[in-house]
This record gives sequence, C-alpha cells and structure tokens, in this order.
Amino acid sequence: MSTALALVGGLICLLVVLIIVWGVVAYNRLVRLRNQVDASWAQIDVQLKRRYDLIPNLVETVKGYAAHERGTLEAVVAARGSAINAAQAPGVGDRAAAEGLLTQTLGRLFALAEAYPDLKANENFRALQAELGNTEDKIAYARQFYNSAVQTFNTAVQSVPTNLIAGLGGFRARDFFEATGGERGPVQVRF
Amino acid sequence: MDKRAVADLALAAASIGFWALVYAAARLLTRPASPAPAPATMELGAEPPALVSLLVNRWTLTEDAAESTLLDLAARKFFELRQPGNDPLETTVHVPAAAPDSSGLRAYEKQVLDRVRGLAVNGVVPLSALTFRDQGQAKSWNKQLRAAVVADARAAGLSRRRFGPAVTSMLGLAAIIAAVGVGVAAMRYGFRDPGGDDDNPGLAAGIVTFALLGAAGGRSPGERHTPAGRSAAARWLGVRDWLRGHEQFAELPPAAVAVWDRYLGYGAAVGATHLASAILDLDMGDRRLVWSSYGDTWHRVRVRYPSFWPRYGRTLPILLLRAAAYAVVGGLLFHVLGWPTAQLAADRPGRIMDLIADGASLLSLLLLFLGGYTLLRSLIDLATVRTITGEVLWQETWRSTNGSEDKPSRPWLHHLAIDDGSDDRTTAWGLPSEWSDRCQDGDTVTIRVRPWSRRIGELTVVGQGRSRRLVETVTSDDTGNLALEMLTPAAAEPELFTDDEVSQLLGRPVTASPLPLTGVQYSPAEGGGPLLLVQSAGGLPGRVAWRANSRGQELPGIADGAFVSGYRAALRRGDTTVVLTLLGPGRDRRDYLPWLLSQAATRT
Repeated sequence: MSTALALVGGLICLLVVLIIVWGVVAYNRLVRLRNQVDASWAQIDVQLKRRYDLIPNLVETVKGYAAHERGTLEAVVAARGSAINAAQAPGVGDRAAAEGLLTQTLGRLFALAEAYPDLKANENFRALQAELGNTEDKIAYARQFYNSAVQTFNTAVQSVPTNLIAGLGGFRARDFFEATGGERGPVQVRF
Repeated sequence: MDKRAVADLALAAASIGFWALVYAAARLLTRPASPAPAPATMELGAEPPALVSLLVNRWTLTEDAAESTLLDLAARKFFELRQPGNDPLETTVHVPAAAPDSSGLRAYEKQVLDRVRGLAVNGVVPLSALTFRDQGQAKSWNKQLRAAVVADARAAGLSRRRFGPAVTSMLGLAAIIAAVGVGVAAMRYGFRDPGGDDDNPGLAAGIVTFALLGAAGGRSPGERHTPAGRSAAARWLGVRDWLRGHEQFAELPPAAVAVWDRYLGYGAAVGATHLASAILDLDMGDRRLVWSSYGDTWHRVRVRYPSFWPRYGRTLPILLLRAAAYAVVGGLLFHVLGWPTAQLAADRPGRIMDLIADGASLLSLLLLFLGGYTLLRSLIDLATVRTITGEVLWQETWRSTNGSEDKPSRPWLHHLAIDDGSDDRTTAWGLPSEWSDRCQDGDTVTIRVRPWSRRIGELTVVGQGRSRRLVETVTSDDTGNLALEMLTPAAAEPELFTDDEVSQLLGRPVTASPLPLTGVQYSPAEGGGPLLLVQSAGGLPGRVAWRANSRGQELPGIADGAFVSGYRAALRRGDTTVVLTLLGPGRDRRDYLPWLLSQAATRT
C-alpha cells in the first residue's frame, strides 16, 4: 500500500515538475518574442525619425524653386508635425495613420517637382530624394519585420495553452503597423 | 632490440614529433577567428551573400554560398521565383526575356546565373531541376564556385590563406629538421647492420621524410580572417541574430524573395532560412525522382533501378546458356536424385522420406520449368526488340567485376534511365559499360532494347543536352593536366582551307605553314607576318579554347555553336573547337569570318 502511494506521489511530483518546466519555457519564449517585437518597433522608429530629419531640408530646397506652391509645402510640414506628435502617443494605429498621411504628402511634393526642371536638376534635391527613397525602403522592410514579429507574438499569446501563461504574465496582443492610404490602394498599371 | 636501435628509433620518432608539434602550433595560431556578434540589426552591408556565408561560417564555405547567391539574383530581378501552389517544392524559375545587364556580376554570380539560364527551357526551369546528375560535374561546378568566392573575399581584404608564406617557410624548415633527424637515425642504423648492403638508407629516409612532411604541410588548410574580415563577420553575425529572432523568417519559401527582396538571400547566407535552404539545392539531385525537359516541357519522372533478377542486362548467349544450365541440372536432379528417392519413399513409407522425395522432385521440376521459361522468354525478347528515343535522365555504374589486388574492379554494366515522354515512371536499362561515355545526362538518344532482359543493344546520340554546355568549364584539376596534354603532339589534321581559298579571301596570294601545335598559319607569298591563323583542337585543349572564345556575337546554325568577337571567330563541333584569328593586314577582312566559319563547319 505504502509503495503504491509512493508511486502515485512520485508521479504527481513529476507531473508538477514537468508543468513548472513547461511554464518557465513558455514564459521565456513569450518574453523573447515580446522583446523581438519591441526591437522591431525600434527599427521602424529609427527610420521614421530619419525621415522627420530629412523633411525640413527638403521643404527648404523646394521653397527656393517653387515658393508659391505653399499649400503642398504646408501640408508636408503639417503632416510631419502630426507624425511627430503621434510618435509620442502609445497607439500603433494612430502613428501608422499619421505616417501614411506624411507619405502621401511627400508623394505630392515629389510629383510637384516634376513641373520644375530646375528643381529636379538641383543636386541637393536629388540627393534628398534618393535619401528619402532609401529611407522609405527601409521603413517598408522594418514594417515587414515588425509585423512578422507581432504575428508570431500574437499567435503565441492567443494559442492554447500558452495563453494561460500569457494571461498570468500580463502579455497582451500587439497591433500591426498597417499600411494606410495610398500604400493600400489598388496598383495602377500604366501602358 | 639493442639500446642503440631503440635510441635511433627514439630519434626518428622525436624528429617526426617535433614537426607534428610545429604543425599543430601553426594550426592553433592561425585558426579562423570567431568574432562576437555585433548588436542585432537589420542593416545589410555591401558584401554579397556568398562572401557573407564565408564570413559567418568561420571562413569555411558551405552550400549556402551558392544557394544564397541564387536567391540574391532573384531579388535583383535576374530571374523570378514563382510558387504556383502551397508546395514550395513546386517553385519554378522564370528567366525574363529582357534581363538586367549581367556584365557587372561577380564570377560566382555569373556561374549561378549561367546554370539557371542554361537549363531553362522556354525561359522556365523548376527550382529542384537545378541539381546535378553527375557527381563529377557537381564537384567541379561547386569547386569552381568556391574558388571564385574565396578569390573575391581575398580581393576584398576579408580573407587570406590560413598558412601564409611565413608559416609555410616555418613548416618547411621543421620538415627539413625532421628529415635530418630521421635520416641520421636511419644512417646510424644502416652502419651497424652487418647484413646490410653497401648503400646506407639515411639519405633515402631523409628525402622520403621531407617529401611526405612537406606535402602534408603544403596542403592548404583553408582560409582565415583579416582584421577587416573579422569586423565584417561581427556585423553580419548581428544581422544573423536579427533574422533568427524572427521565427517566421525561418519558414519562408524561396518564392518569398518577391516580398523580402535581398533579405531572403542574406538569410540563406547566414543560415536563418531553414525552409528555403532545405528546398534549394545546387548539388547532386535525387536519382529516383529526376526532372526531364523532353518535349520542351519540364516534368518529373520517377525512375526505378532494377537489380534483383539475374536476367537484367545480360546478353542473349548468357541467357541461353543459363536456360540450358537450368534444364540440365533440373533433368539430372530428377533422374539421379528425384526418382530413386521417390522409390525409396515408396519402399519405406514415412513422413520424412516423403518430404525429401517431394522436395527433390519439386526442385528438379522447378529448374526444368525455369530453363524452359528462360529459353522461351529470351527468344520472345529477341523477337520484340524495341526502339526508344528519349532524354537521358541518369547514368551510373550498375555492375562491376570482382576486383583483386592485381586486377582492380571494372564496371561492365551501367544503368541508363531514359524518358521517352510516354509516362511519368520509367525503369532504367542495362547499358554495356564500354558505351557509357557516348552520352551524358540531358542528351537525346535512340536506343534499341530487349525489354525482358532490359539490355541496350544499340545507342545513338541524336541531340546533345544543355548540361554538356554547362559543364564545359575549366577547373583547377583540368588546368593541372592541361600542360601535359598541350605538350603531347597532336595528330596531324587535314587543312580546313586551301591556299587558293584563303588567297581569294584575303585578296593576296598566301602560303600555308604549320604551327607548332595543331593549326596552320597563312602568310603573304611575297613574305611578311602571318595574316590568318587556323587552329583546331579536341579534348581538354579544345574545351579550354572554346571557353576562351565562345563570346561576342553568336552565329546560330553553324556547327554546334559559333561566335565572332573582334578579329577572332570560333566554332564547336562535337569535341572539336576551331579558332580563326585574323592578324595584321588580314584584319581588313573581318566581315568574312562568318563565311570562313561556315566553311570550316562543313569540313570539321
């Protein structure tokens, strides 16, 4: 009788140890995934800030050739300000919307430059345009990495039985950094 | 053993041990660095993926170099990877009609691109059809790629020889010291040996020791870091950590390059893409599931390699002999053993004797039946010879003779798998080994076969495959033998053009004179420098010449391939390459080179 009891007790202890080990492993994985999300967000942040820094120079350069296009220039400045303000807020959605708006206004600014050959030929403008294009590419890749990290993290947080550990550890699903406005519009084919 | 002999032995062992110690120290001191990763980052550097693969693998090249280059070329739009369904194994490579300019590609990138372009049928090739079907070709191709990557890494200052001149000299010196030690030990032993002949073995032992140790020390142990390479490796290890941190990245298929651009190629280079790397393969392919392009459409053919039945690959006389042997042995068994045993069983009824009688009778009847069956099927086989035309899928040794110390094993039968386009399954045929050099994988061949014994009776190559063009590259092994082949006097070849023809073409009377190697030069009859060189070569020199001259404007329809570049033109027919070079005033007649090539093609 005592042997059977010892066997049952040992099995229960083993089960408890296994559950604790699994819990630690699952918790550590969630921490790792959350850190990856944060690191990916930081990469986006770096590139977005780089874009904020480039815009004033761009606006000043365009002003020198197309000062009367005030509406477009002010829209860019306003969109930049909104994006900087949105960066202070915690929500990813608001920031994504503000960045989308900034991308659209920048697009209008570059379209406007087509009408000013002198501006297009300006070396400073061309360098800024190339730099902004490069930054836009990096933002796109950083967003891909961020969304990929968020998807993995959210899947772990919402799946059974990891969601039990996530609930106990205070892990919450994150928002995707979604493309807005023109970036989500239909692709236009030119013939 | 006397003490002096032991001392000699100890001296020799200590000498070798000294060299081994120096060698071990050299390896230890020159081992490639293992830099600590820089902080995880998504910022890619300027190095191409193949170099990155070398750096992150501690200056050792793996198959990731070729695979990551393939993905990188796809990201740079040299071709497109498409996955039609859910299975990444079904990914296809599409070569665009107007590809980007490839002139700026590095040698190994060009090599990968050439393989893709060369195998594409109507601009398409399945990703898994990029594998090789010949071990030698696979090795040669990968060796060439690795050499090119290492050369590029050295040129970029990221890598260097692991044993530089100083270390090599030190090892050489150690080998001399060890050789002297061994030589002295052998000499002392030789002087004491009363039964020995007059020649002392000391010198020979020293020379042999030096040769062996020198060869061992001279073997390249690979590459090692440079300061710039070490810093680049640390940076790329940071990228690796970044990519590995994204669990989804490991599961991306090759076609995801459309979304992830160059990140996927770099991910393969640093070992962060498990699925894509598992699917990509530029080494030996699967012999049982082979891609065929017969009929100008890619399709997979499942190949079976028969081996069990002894009839496979046998000649008719052997089969008839075997049928006769079965019949004779069966008949003898029945008459000599089977019947008396039955009688015995009848005299002494018992279960064991019954069993023996039945077994002997059954065996003899079975052998008789087998003899008859073999005879009948062999005759039917002879009457049902078929002719098949198809693409060679795979060729490998099937059966070899038993080797011995004096007589090495020699193959006498090969497997030859052919796709005739009628089915997605095929069974390999038995090809006499002496014909195995006639065709290569990808060639279109016509064979006459006996279906029951699966033996090929005739083989004719009716079209050369794309893989032939792709493997005509010169490797370091080839160049090692090149000098020997070049020094071997070539058989005299008939002149391709008469003096009158060349005189007419060049607008002045010329005379022909033979060149030191295979070829003829035409010079003005009135004297002066040569105007036209006509050189012809086969075998390895021919391949080298073709590789060097198959550039410029391609001239379709002439021989197996023809090119004109500047004042030089070349054509390839079978194994022979003909090169025409205009010199001096003869260069005015450059427009006639295509005509000369077409004439040469009809006479080669």
